[in-house]
Amino acid sequence: MEELKRSEQLNVKDNVNTKVKLKDQDAFLKINHLVVEYTSEGEVIHAVNDVSLSLRRGKTLGLVGETGAGKTTIAKAVMRILPERSSRIPGGEIEFNGRDILSLSEKQMQKIRGEQVSMIFQDPMTALDPVKTMGQQIAEVVRLHNDVSKKEAAVRAEEMLELVGIPASRAGEYPHQFSGGMKQRVVIAIALACRPKLLLADEPTTALDVTIQAQVLRMINDLKRKLNTSMILITHDLGVVAQNCDDVSVIYAGEIVESGTKEDIFDHPSHPYTIGLFDALPKLDSGASRLKPIVGLPPNPTDLPTGCRFHPRCPLATEACGQGKVPMKELTSGHFCRCNKRKE
Amino acid sequence: MSALLETQNLKKYFKTSRGLLHAVDDVTFTIQKGKTMGIVGESGCGKSTLGRTLIHLLESTGGRIRFEGRDITSVSRRELKKLREEMQIIFQDPFSSLNPRYTVEKAIQEALRLTGRYSPSQIPKETDRLMELVGIDQRLRTSYPHELDGGRRQRVVIARALAPNPKFIVCDEPVSALDVSIQAQVLNLLQDLQENMGLTYLFITHDLSVVKHISDDICVMYLGQMVETSPSDELFTMPLHPYTKALLSAIPTIDIHTPMENIPLEGELTSPVDPQPGCRFAARCKYVCEACGKPQQLEELRPGHFVSCCRAKELNM
Repeated sequence: MEELKRSEQLNVKDNVNTKVKLKDQDAFLKINHLVVEYTSEGEVIHAVNDVSLSLRRGKTLGLVGETGAGKTTIAKAVMRILPERSSRIPGGEIEFNGRDILSLSEKQMQKIRGEQVSMIFQDPMTALDPVKTMGQQIAEVVRLHNDVSKKEAAVRAEEMLELVGIPASRAGEYPHQFSGGMKQRVVIAIALACRPKLLLADEPTTALDVTIQAQVLRMINDLKRKLNTSMILITHDLGVVAQNCDDVSVIYAGEIVESGTKEDIFDHPSHPYTIGLFDALPKLDSGASRLKPIVGLPPNPTDLPTGCRFHPRCPLATEACGQGKVPMKELTSGHFCRCNKRKE
Repeated sequence: MSALLETQNLKKYFKTSRGLLHAVDDVTFTIQKGKTMGIVGESGCGKSTLGRTLIHLLESTGGRIRFEGRDITSVSRRELKKLREEMQIIFQDPFSSLNPRYTVEKAIQEALRLTGRYSPSQIPKETDRLMELVGIDQRLRTSYPHELDGGRRQRVVIARALAPNPKFIVCDEPVSALDVSIQAQVLNLLQDLQENMGLTYLFITHDLSVVKHISDDICVMYLGQMVETSPSDELFTMPLHPYTKALLSAIPTIDIHTPMENIPLEGELTSPVDPQPGCRFAARCKYVCEACGKPQQLEELRPGHFVSCCRAKELNM
């Protein structure tokens, strides 16, 4: 009897192991327990606290959160472009395509950056060089990562421009001659010029008007499909997530509070913060005369609350929520939530 | 109901080195007392210029503005000073509209002093009243703008705007720089103030869900022209202008089960510098016809629902 029970247990354990392994293989980018801190005027800013994420090949992961939640810091950590002096990564791993990003040398990293992993920043104006033509800026990336002549690079640059819907004849023009939407398309052309395997898009459409946003997102998705690129889409706009992502992670005060497929998050939001975000949104299809804001303010990252970081603002919080680290719980397969109030 | 503010064929042109830039061209609407008129449109469509022209931060090039039945299109300096007390404006970025070296208290006191209505001994009490009205905690009295979050900064700006006890406030993207949870707090505050004080708003934004939530009527602008104006709900259920339709279809909804039916907009923007007569959306419109090259008339196709498109009737009715 005892024997049987044990073998059953073993079996169960084996199953769990294989499941985990399968998931590992699926994951193309894996971030494990990442911690990032900044120091400023002697204070330690806890920007990212024990974040784990995984991105499946060819898929889009939406990273949702408010200002200061640590979204951009995570992306910069993956690119290894955090400010050297004021930031440090005391813990965690970033595994990209089987390689440990954090242990690579700067030289090795330069090979990866732009060629295998690219980033699109929010503001196209600061991402472009005002004194170089658009064609030169795209060709520069191409030449950096490929052994091609100047001429070939220029041809590639023109192809990329056409790909993002800008006539190649405009390759000789400067950033100030382009509209905001076109500039962002050029930034995307630069990011995709070397056909990266992973694209980190940090609020790529926040500075754009809705009609242009729709164009740009459609274009990113088309290119992504063509080049089989995986993407992390950082945004605060739940509408953009709903229409463009496969999986979603919600981040609050440097911690992932809920993650799952898009269906998990939009059909069954479970963390009180996620629910609060949905409730605070003015909706197009409701006649509600009042909005339901989340009470209070996001915490100061130099002085985070103990226990659940959200408990001071949470309508469900009890005294126990302020104590001890709250673990992630799996509510249904693949849908995780960091809240004591939610049953597994 | 009575009209607080009316415009008729309001125009604002800017002289540029390339020619005359038509930032606002023939805008005609009426805002009822105690109501909110939302102005939507994409960057560069003239929303902010319109707001500024209404309250004389910019002088209009043509057309009429009436406020409480009075023609205020051109006013003397003295009249303007009086008018400014009744018409206020809140800008998008509270950081740049507050003096970084003034504390919360000092910023509000300054606004109160400028009204000339309060004696020095009354000002502290009035400051308390305004701070309570907009929900700023007393302990923040001596804080500087950089010590406040965006939502609180915007509350200080609102308190300053309320100091002269205005009737009309132009809200120029007041919540665009705020996170959703904070944005909801500020929108609720603006609604409370409207209910309690009978304020009238012109609410300028590019965020269509925000504008639907807060407005009674909405006016859609495209490159300086007003293309459609309608009661808020009706605009979303029954848009009549091809541009409004494309604009509404581009909003990413949070409904993951109905795919978006996006009407893509092809082609580039027409230049608002010395534009051709006629509809400025024509170059991107799939229903374009010869008549689009002539000046368009604003037509009331349904009660209170005006559209400026020669084919709107035939396409929608």
